[in-house]
Formats: sequence, structure tokens, C-alpha cells
Amino acid sequence: MTIFSTDHKVIGKQYIGLALFSVLLGIVLSLVMRFHLVHPDAKVKLFGALWPDGAPGGQMTPELYLSLMTIHGTIMVFFVLTTAPQSGFGNYFLPLQIGAHDMAFPVLNMLSFWTTALSLLTLLAAFFVEGGAPLSGWTAYPPLSGLGRITGPGQGLGQDLWILSIALFCVASLMAAINFIVTIIELRAPDMGYFDMPLTCWGWFVTALISLFAFAVLLAGGILLLLDRTAGTSFFVPGGLIVNDQIQTRSGGSPILFQHLFWFFGHPEVYIAILPGMGLISTILSTFSGKKVFGYKAMAIALLAIGGLGFVVWGHHMFISGMSPYSSIAFSVLTLAVGVPSAVKTFNWLATLWGGRLRFTAAMHFALGFVSIFITGGITGLILGQPGLDIYFHDTYFVVAHFHLIMGVAAIFAIFAGLHYWFPKMYGRFLHEGLGKLHFYMTFIGVYAVFVPLHFAGFVGNPRRYPDFKEYEFLKAVMPLHIGVTHAAYFLAAAQLIFLFNYFWSQRRGAAAPANPWGATTREWRDD
Amino acid sequence: MTNTARAGQTLLIAASSMFFAAFTSAMVVRRGLSGDWIAPPLPAWIWATMLLGPLASWLVQRGQIKSAMAAGAMLVASQLALLSNLRMAVIGEAFCAVLIAAHAAHAAAGVAALGRFGARAGLFWHFVGALWIYVLFLFGVWA
Amino acid sequence: MAIAILIAALAGATLALFFQPRWWFPDAISAHARAYDSQFALTLWVIGCIFVLAQGGLAWIAFRYRDQGQTPSANSGNNRLEIVWTVATAAVFLALAFAGQGIWAGVHLAVDDPRALHVEVMAKQFAWSYRYAGADGVFGRVDIRQIDDAGGNPFGIDSTDPKGADDITAAILRVPAGRPVELRLKSRDVIHNFFVRELRLKQDVVPGMTIPLRFTADKPGTYEVPCSELCGLGHHQMRSALVVMPPDAYEEWLQEARQKVVLP
Repeated sequence: MTIFSTDHKVIGKQYIGLALFSVLLGIVLSLVMRFHLVHPDAKVKLFGALWPDGAPGGQMTPELYLSLMTIHGTIMVFFVLTTAPQSGFGNYFLPLQIGAHDMAFPVLNMLSFWTTALSLLTLLAAFFVEGGAPLSGWTAYPPLSGLGRITGPGQGLGQDLWILSIALFCVASLMAAINFIVTIIELRAPDMGYFDMPLTCWGWFVTALISLFAFAVLLAGGILLLLDRTAGTSFFVPGGLIVNDQIQTRSGGSPILFQHLFWFFGHPEVYIAILPGMGLISTILSTFSGKKVFGYKAMAIALLAIGGLGFVVWGHHMFISGMSPYSSIAFSVLTLAVGVPSAVKTFNWLATLWGGRLRFTAAMHFALGFVSIFITGGITGLILGQPGLDIYFHDTYFVVAHFHLIMGVAAIFAIFAGLHYWFPKMYGRFLHEGLGKLHFYMTFIGVYAVFVPLHFAGFVGNPRRYPDFKEYEFLKAVMPLHIGVTHAAYFLAAAQLIFLFNYFWSQRRGAAAPANPWGATTREWRDD
Repeated sequence: MTNTARAGQTLLIAASSMFFAAFTSAMVVRRGLSGDWIAPPLPAWIWATMLLGPLASWLVQRGQIKSAMAAGAMLVASQLALLSNLRMAVIGEAFCAVLIAAHAAHAAAGVAALGRFGARAGLFWHFVGALWIYVLFLFGVWA
Repeated sequence: MAIAILIAALAGATLALFFQPRWWFPDAISAHARAYDSQFALTLWVIGCIFVLAQGGLAWIAFRYRDQGQTPSANSGNNRLEIVWTVATAAVFLALAFAGQGIWAGVHLAVDDPRALHVEVMAKQFAWSYRYAGADGVFGRVDIRQIDDAGGNPFGIDSTDPKGADDITAAILRVPAGRPVELRLKSRDVIHNFFVRELRLKQDVVPGMTIPLRFTADKPGTYEVPCSELCGLGHHQMRSALVVMPPDAYEEWLQEARQKVVLP
């Protein structure tokens, strides 16, 4: 295994390794944030040692909290949810499942991984520069992100590095998307038509198509934002501003224009994270039910429909942004329409299980957990998709709970299911089943305990992105809820140590696996 | 040209088109929103560069890769000359600079690809030539 | 087996949380807010039913078809079923989408009310200011070079415009109960967000734009206004208040405020 390998299996493992490192970092950041929310006045020596400027004497500043939040979101969305299910599993298993020797462009594949790695390093470098990491969140709305240091600490070089990191990530993702699509179109085995491909391949295919169009737009938006910051342009910065008591000289830019460019990417990004998981869950449910996937063709078409409709619903992130109220109505109807293929997938998953003989392996546990989480996280979309109802919930913990479940946790459950399912193929050994199930039960309970109560903080109207809740009378009522959630988060994080141990222990000591341990029917389990 | 090479270039062209479409739509929106739009002043000689792309394409078809690369390099050089005269503080010129720079990056990559892959990279080069004509018309006629 | 029970238990625990009264919406104080609550209740019932059926179905299937050595069915699809559940879901979802448009239109597509009280709202990192027209009913011109927070002129009311001399500037939004109010939201630096929970209203305040927000509050009281769009390190402290006053108390306050205006 060489470092700059062009072998798809090695690159797949490299992506999974990068995602594993990123997810651990993201979890640690979230624990620090959860701790601070319930102990806002605590002086923690470790914080002071890690961030001498951000936590003088161990007392965390609001700007440090916001920068942790920004990096947590950016890492989780880009370097975990976008890399592991698509580039990790996809690189490893797509060629195997369609009977190809490798990806279509192996050198390009190597380049896209290392560009991704460089992008991650660039992002993390933001912690170590003057002013620290940016505090504008993973959405980086201008003018907060467009005017430099004057809008807050971290908005100087830290924000520049953030944009640079995202631009690199866009380039890497575009290279990967081209590679995936060409591989599927040109390198399928001669006897395999599009509708003979496993649904995993359909998931990767549609995801690559989404990436191809979405990341190109994010790259354009990032470039314009960087120019606003460094070249004195006024793409997104309007005139007549006084920031920090200083009159700004820009004029005519539109902050909402950036939001359009960002969410034109940002909403499809949700599907980039979840579609590979959907394909994978279909396969796992089918394998462990001893049945074919119910409604295979409908499932493939639903993936295409989600991918297509996903490009015309971005405005539901902007209902309260000040854009035309008429466009909100159109976006609302389209948003609820994109829920239909998602519901169709759920029906088909249930129908796949129906009448089967269910074998409750660890992978199957995570797959069933995925369906449960997908339902819980998905149905609140019916509230948020209505602009009238979104008014109250926008930028509250209700939204935080919604997208963590449907985008974050569901995709992570798919990753865990996939690792249990494919581990024997990747390492010739099983992940320990008992530990896997223990990890599942703790994680499943932990996830419900963390995220369901956060919806209720949303009912109270609790705004998100607050470093503490001391300022408001009405937020005193939600403190007990947040204390409970923070403890559940500790429990949930501790459960992940079981997985970590299992993952590394089983690579060396796990029970040896036969060639096709699950009795699966897809091509990757045949002899190499 | 192999099928994978053609498919790869086609997808690259799709992504690049989306990239330019994003800039274009940003420009349409930004122009419509405020009263500060002034059409960027472009020198008349710029129209002559429109021919460099198709010229290079023709040379590629005839197998004269080196000459095609020279024509492409001339295009990039003239774009860099244009860029030095645009003021970023004026929004029309800023958009013009962004699109020219984005195109110059594509043209330079196209020249490099011709050097590395020869006529197999021809499809991408044809796109680069057509894209330049689009950019010129965008600013010369519409803006 | 265990997982079937766990899915059912977690779904049940989720439902049970809805029966605690503690973490819920504050009482509505406008007709819009009450309309909001009923549309929310309708939606909640619909998704509640979906939730129970889907999680219950999942748990039951996991229990019913656990491995007891049975032969799995060979059924791998049914086009009629696909069409039925696609159409049925689409009907329910789109019906919700259309039912929800009323409250949206009520806030954003309403026409100007001639009786409305106009108040200008200025947001900056990290404070809110409110401006009322003086006795002349006209807002004076502004000039950003004259903005002076410490000197009590956060709007930059132009001292050369006599119409602005009697404008009232305040740090708290006071409105009379029962009278339509139209806010004109402005920001002078980054994006902020004006949120009143009891009105079920929330609107981004975007620099470079003037965004109208209309409401009629009918219940006197003091309601907190938390900034709800990330605006920098003081975002969580960017607090203001809406005070809804009985009409005569409001008049009294207004007269007093008018007398206190210092001519610049």
C-alpha cells in the first residue's frame, strides 16, 4: 500500500480513514460545545491550553464557541458525510460491483483524494492563524463573511482559509464525480444494463451527477466571496454599511445572491450525503431478509427523482431571508414534492422486509435503525417545508434536530451498516458482531435521547448558534432539557469508543470470514 | 479517442458549463438589483481573439498540435492583458474580470491538455473556443 | 426481537414527550399566531399518524418476520402498489403544502393598512433601535455619516431635515394593542433576524434592503426579541423587547416620548 496509490481499493480505504479522523474530531468539537452550553462559566484548563486566545484562563469566549461550531459543521458535512459513503465505499465497491478492474481514471482518483486531504489540512490550519477559525457557520453568509476581520475575530485569515478549503474540496469532488460517472457509463460489465446495477451503484451514480452540478456552483460562489474579501469587489456586500463604527465603501451587492448560490449547492448536498446510504440500506435489507429488493425499478427511479427535484428546492432554506414571498410558495410545493420519492423509498424498504426471513446481524440492526431515523428525521420536513410554519422554527433547535437526524445520523447509520456489511470483503475478517450490536443499541438510544428533545427546545423557540442561554428569560426554561441532552451526548460519544475498538481490533483479530459470508448476490462477493 | 476519454471530457464540459452558468446568473441578478451597472469597456481588438479558439481547433483537427498550442497560448496572453486593465471596484468590470480569468484558467488547462494528450484532448479545446465566444458576446453585446 | 421492542419503545418515548406541558410554544398574541397554531396542530396530527404507522409498522415487521426458519417470499415488486402509495403520499403532502399557504400569505402578501403604525427598526452588531415618526407623521431623512450611537442617533437622522427633528428613537419596541403595526426592518452591517415568539413571526434583517413586517398584537405584555440569525460574537446577547401596551397607556408613553425628544 503506497501513499500515492492509484488503486481504487486503497483510495477507498484512504477516504474512509480520512472520514474516520474527521468524524472523531467533529464529535470532540460537539462535546466541547455541549459542555459549554450547560457550563458557560466553567474555567477549563484544557481549553485554555488548547486555545490561549479563544479561552483565556480556560474561560471559553463566544467567538471560540462559534468557531468550534463552524468547524464542526464544515467537517461533518464535507469531510464525513460527503466523503465516506460516496468516495469511501464507492471507490472500493463500485468497480467490484459492476465488474470493472478499477475506476476509469485512477490517477485522477488519487489526485482527488489528496486534494481532499489538502482541503482538510487547510481548514484545520484556520485554528492556528491570527484570530482563529471563522465564526460564520458552515453557511458563511456575507456580509458577516465578506468584510474581513472587522466583523469579528476569525473573520480574517481564518475565513480566507475556510473558503480556500471549500474551493479545494469542490475541485476534488468534481474530479471524483467525473470519475464515478464515466466508470458507471463506460466500464460496466458487458452483461450489465443500467437497471441491472445494484441500488448501491444507483446511489453513487445519482450522487455523482448531483456533485457534478452542485459543486461547480459552490466553487463559483466561493470565488466571488473571496474576491469580495480580498479584491474590494461588491458582489454580495451592499452599500451604506457601517461596521464596527466604520463606514464601508462598497455598494450595490446582494447578500441574498450568495444565499442562492450557496443553497443551490447546499440542498443537493443533503442528497449527496444520504443517497449512497439509501442504496446501501436497500442492499442490506434485501440480503438479510433473504428477498430481492421490493420494487427495484421504483427505487432506482426514486433516487433519480430525488436527485432531480433536489435541484429546485433550495429556496426552502431561504423562506425568511427576505426573498420574494411568491417564490417561497413555489419552493414550498416543490419541497413537499421531493418528500414523495423519499416516502416511496420507505414504503419499499418496509415491503422488502415484509414476508422475509430477517437475520439480525449488526449490519441489519443499523439498517433497521436507519429506516427508523429516516422516518423520524424526515417527517419534520413536512413542517419545515411549509413557509408559514417554517417562520417560527427557522434557525431554532428544531432545525438542528431535523437535519442532524435526516442528514447526519441517518447517513452515519448507513456508514456503520456498510462497514459491518463490507468489512469481511475489505479485511477478510468480521467486525465483532456482539460488540457491533452493543454499539448499535447504545447509539440508537443515544441518538433519540439527544435529538428528539432538541425538537422541544425548538418548540420553545430556542435560537441556534448561541454560545450560552443566559441572556434570555424564556431560555431559562430549556436549560434542564439542554442538560439532559448534553449528558445523552456524552453517552452517545462513549458508545462510539466501542466501535473504534471493534474496528481496529477486528482488522487483526476478528473471526476469519469466508468469501461470501452473508449469502449476498451482488458481484463484489464473487472471487476476485 | 477512447470512449472513456470522450465521456470524461463531456462531463468536464458539463461541470465547466455549470460553473460559467453560475457566474452568468449571478451577474444577471446582480445587474438587475442595483443601479450601479456600467458596461465594462472592452478594446476593439478583443473581437479578433474570438478567432483564436476555432483556429486552434482547426489546427488540432489537422494534427498540428504545436501550432494549436501556440494559438491557445496567444489567447491566454491576450486575456491576461485584458485583465490588467479591469478595476475590481466597478461591478461590471469585476464580473468581466472573473469570467475572463475563469476562461483563461480553462484555456491554459486546455493548452496543457493538448501538450499532454494531443488530439485526444481536442473535444475539451473545442469547448474552450466556444466558451470564449460566449464570454465575448456576454460582455460585448448583452452587458 | 430486541430491536423491534426498542424501535417501538423509542417511538413511544418520543410521543410521550408531547404530553409534557413544559416545553411548548408560548401563548399566541395575534390572530396570525392563532392561525399558525391551528395549521401547526393540523400538520402535527398528520405527521403524528405517519410516525406511528411507519415506526409501528417497522417494529411489527421486524418482530413478525424474525428468523424462525420460514421460507422468504419471492415477491419482489408490485407496480399497482407503487402507484397507489406514490399517489396517496403526493396527495397528502401537497394538500399540506396548499393548506399551509394561508398563514404565509397572511404575513407576506397582505396589503398596507392605512391605519397602520409605522416603526423603523435598525439592527447592528449587537443592538436594536426603533424609530417612530414625530407629530408630523413623517420620518426625517437619514445620513449614515451622522450615525452616532453614543449621542443617541443610531439611525443617523439628518440634522438638516426639519422633518426628522421630532422623530422618536427608542431601544424597546412599544406598540398599542389592537392596532396594525408595520415594521420596516433595516440593518447597517450584517444580517440579523427579528423574532417574536408570541407573534410566530421571524424575519431576516438584511443590509441593503428594507423589509416590511406586519402584525397586530392583541394582548398587552412584554415579549423578548432574540436575534435569530448568526451575526457575530455577540449574537446571543443581541436582545430586545416588544412591549404591547393598552392603547391609552401607549398614547401616554408617546406624548411623553415626544416631549423628551432633543432637537439635534
